[in-house]
Amino acid sequence: MTVKNPLTPMEAEIIRVEEMTSIEKLFYLKLTDPQIIGEFHYNPGQFLEVSVPGVGEAPISICDAQREPGQLQLCIRKVGRVTNAIHRLKEGDRLWIRGPYGNGFPMKLMENHNLLLIAGGLGIAPLRSVLQHALLYRTNYGLITVMYGVRCYSMMLFREEFIRLFREGDKLNVKFLLAYEDESDTKCYQLACERSDRCMRGLVTRLIEAATITPDNTYAVICGPPVMYKFVVRELTQRGFTPTQIYMTMERRMKCGVGKCGHCITGSSNSIKYVCKDGPVFTYWDALKTKGLM
Amino acid sequence: MYKKLLKDDLENFIFILKKFGVVHAPVREAGRVYEFTELTDSKILQLNYTRTMIPPKKFFLKPKEQLYILNRREGFKEIVDDSKIVLLGVHACDINALNLLDRIYIDQFPDRYYKTRRENTIIIGVSCKPDEYCFCTSTNSSYALEGFDLFMHEIDDSYIIRIGSLKGFQIVCESENLLAEASSNDIKEFKRAEAERLKEFTLHLNVNGIQDILDASYDHPVWQENADICFGCGSCNLVCPTCRCYDTADFLNLDLKTGVRVRRWDSCMLKQHGLVAGGLNFRPTRVERLYNRFNCKMSLSEDSLNCVGCGRCTVYCPADINFVEVLKQVGED
Repeated sequence: MTVKNPLTPMEAEIIRVEEMTSIEKLFYLKLTDPQIIGEFHYNPGQFLEVSVPGVGEAPISICDAQREPGQLQLCIRKVGRVTNAIHRLKEGDRLWIRGPYGNGFPMKLMENHNLLLIAGGLGIAPLRSVLQHALLYRTNYGLITVMYGVRCYSMMLFREEFIRLFREGDKLNVKFLLAYEDESDTKCYQLACERSDRCMRGLVTRLIEAATITPDNTYAVICGPPVMYKFVVRELTQRGFTPTQIYMTMERRMKCGVGKCGHCITGSSNSIKYVCKDGPVFTYWDALKTKGLM
Repeated sequence: MYKKLLKDDLENFIFILKKFGVVHAPVREAGRVYEFTELTDSKILQLNYTRTMIPPKKFFLKPKEQLYILNRREGFKEIVDDSKIVLLGVHACDINALNLLDRIYIDQFPDRYYKTRRENTIIIGVSCKPDEYCFCTSTNSSYALEGFDLFMHEIDDSYIIRIGSLKGFQIVCESENLLAEASSNDIKEFKRAEAERLKEFTLHLNVNGIQDILDASYDHPVWQENADICFGCGSCNLVCPTCRCYDTADFLNLDLKTGVRVRRWDSCMLKQHGLVAGGLNFRPTRVERLYNRFNCKMSLSEDSLNCVGCGRCTVYCPADINFVEVLKQVGED
């Protein structure tokens, strides 16, 4: 009997590539082995180890909610050796993946609650899977508020999709808010002229300051660059969010994804956490107990 | 089921062990440095050694091992190593360390390579005498209750043997002519020797509540003092029987089509350990890495330390950082 080796990558075909920004592309993948497809299930917030044979492996979070069996989307920024190699791949090329790993977001727990999704930059990728899931099972969730901070219009990910939500989200009971940093950005300025209450210049925290958000029956979900968390958390706790109402997803150099290689260990000895298997989704309460997590 | 083997019969016993796999045992390399190496000649066997420099983890999680043959078009083909090994002369601390490694490598998402080697390896423990660096009584790892096939307790001119597994029992059956039932007098001697051994420990560490003590002592000056003298070389990780961080890398052959995926030991004391793509480092300073290592050693999980008190990190630290001394300083003021 052959035991499944958790480190063995599975072959996937790139069925589509979308250029999103100068450094980010969206890859549509489909597993090639029909036997695996049936067993492959993922939840919002989980991640994969993606391999380019001969180059290496990198942890990448899945950015959509599962609809088709064996298919998934990855939003990849070219920033290291492996992601640069992935960016050179085209439709029809092969990638190797293993996973999904990690706990993912507690979608079940968050049912019948309002969702407040706060993302900065590439942090929108894992949160898009939460958003898609909530839209897929729309009646299970209350009001969805998305706060997305970008540097400028050209760096905005999933642009068409989000601008549609920005304009027409109310139909779906979704409030999509955008913050942009670049003063000279005319396109974002136009959006701000269109809806000054939904698009503002500044950091994502500006959106929280401007909005009237209450912690009642709400879960906040955060993802962004590490520096963002403490500012966002401060704004939220000031507005009465308790530490277990705030979820966040974390980044580390997860080499194995299965709690062995040790790279994602964090915390002091009264609370050691593996970001790959105890996370990558944690509550702010976990972060308070676990030194160095946030 | 306690057996007795006369020391005079040890060589014959090793001859029988060879039927079960290639025998590896502690051998003196230089001075006081011992290594587990293939036992080509039983004359070089050193069963009353202090500690090996590299712990037996090297047989299960190899310092460098090929995991897959890779092909840029076809992907990955697993490399299976099914060699059979007998490890003779493993100390209780190292057996307990392997039990801790099992929790990581077998209990959840079992690692195929580690698990296969663990199943293909026979472990024969041997009793030991502590030196001034041993503190395994403090970490509750001075005696092995599981994780071995046979355990030999040296009593004068013989060994009292405990049987820890079915495989161990098979070895005992094969060695019927060499082994006798341990008599009630032998058992009495065994108890006496164990009690005497316990009295020989001079180094003790109070680990009661150490997890909270460490958490609360993040700002303790001892971390910076030791980080200042630490070379950041990672020797402590290499010699630690429970350190198990690894890194993987792909290597292409000259044809640029085929190659291998390799994993090798990594070290949390090296700067790139906490580095992510884009240049952010979650443990950028040596003092943070040192603090992290001590915390990791004092907690595998809520219910277990990740240290077996073997003393290697202190013995082999080129900067003379004393593991127990640091923890005592943190705990005492």
